[in-house]
Amino acid sequence: MSELLDRRAIRLAEKAADKTEAIRRTGQALVEIGAVEPGYVDTMLAREQSISTYVGEGVAIPHGTLGGKQLVNRDALSVLRFPETVDWDGEPVTLCVGIAANGDGHVELLAALAEILLDEDAARELREATDPDTVIRLLGALKEEDSNS
Amino acid sequence: MPTRTVAVGSASGLHARPAKIFVEAAAKAPVKVTIRVGEKKPVPARSMLSVLALGAKQGTEVILEADGDGADQALDGLAALLAKDLDADDA
Repeated sequence: MSELLDRRAIRLAEKAADKTEAIRRTGQALVEIGAVEPGYVDTMLAREQSISTYVGEGVAIPHGTLGGKQLVNRDALSVLRFPETVDWDGEPVTLCVGIAANGDGHVELLAALAEILLDEDAARELREATDPDTVIRLLGALKEEDSNS
Repeated sequence: MPTRTVAVGSASGLHARPAKIFVEAAAKAPVKVTIRVGEKKPVPARSMLSVLALGAKQGTEVILEADGDGADQALDGLAALLAKDLDADDA
């Protein structure tokens, strides 16, 4: 079974001039591990235009539109850290968690991720992480949802 | 306390987009609104992370509560919003 969080998709010293570039890089990480087709990145940008994916605690969770689901090969996350922060409509974002999900598993995934971020210590550790192992330890609890069927 | 129970109408559940629309509406309400699922702890409806952490899917019944002047009106508006499919215009 493939891992939801691929070590190759954890990049902790990223730079982006703006939100759009940050989303492109976050999506590109998902493309590079084969989780999504390149077109998925455009649906992530479309999603962001329709509504911000900033969730608080310096974290944004870019993901595709419903229409982008067919471009998802497997559920996966990418974690990109921007130490210099990226301006997200006035909010400084340090961490982008890119989400690829083709089933309904993303609701549980987002819920579990939100649960982790509600823990202020965990959220701070994630924002300050320089070692992929830290990210894996903190987000390792996130599981691919086994469908109910 | 004024309360509304409503089933989530959005096809993909109360996740990023529908959650954001709901949270923004709740933040504009003149009263403090809480949301909970079943007997779990009520959380602030204006907190994106708290609302996401509910993990509410389409059809999940959520309970809104608020107190004070304008609570009923605010709850009616938010309940109507939750009942709608907020993913509908997402092509």
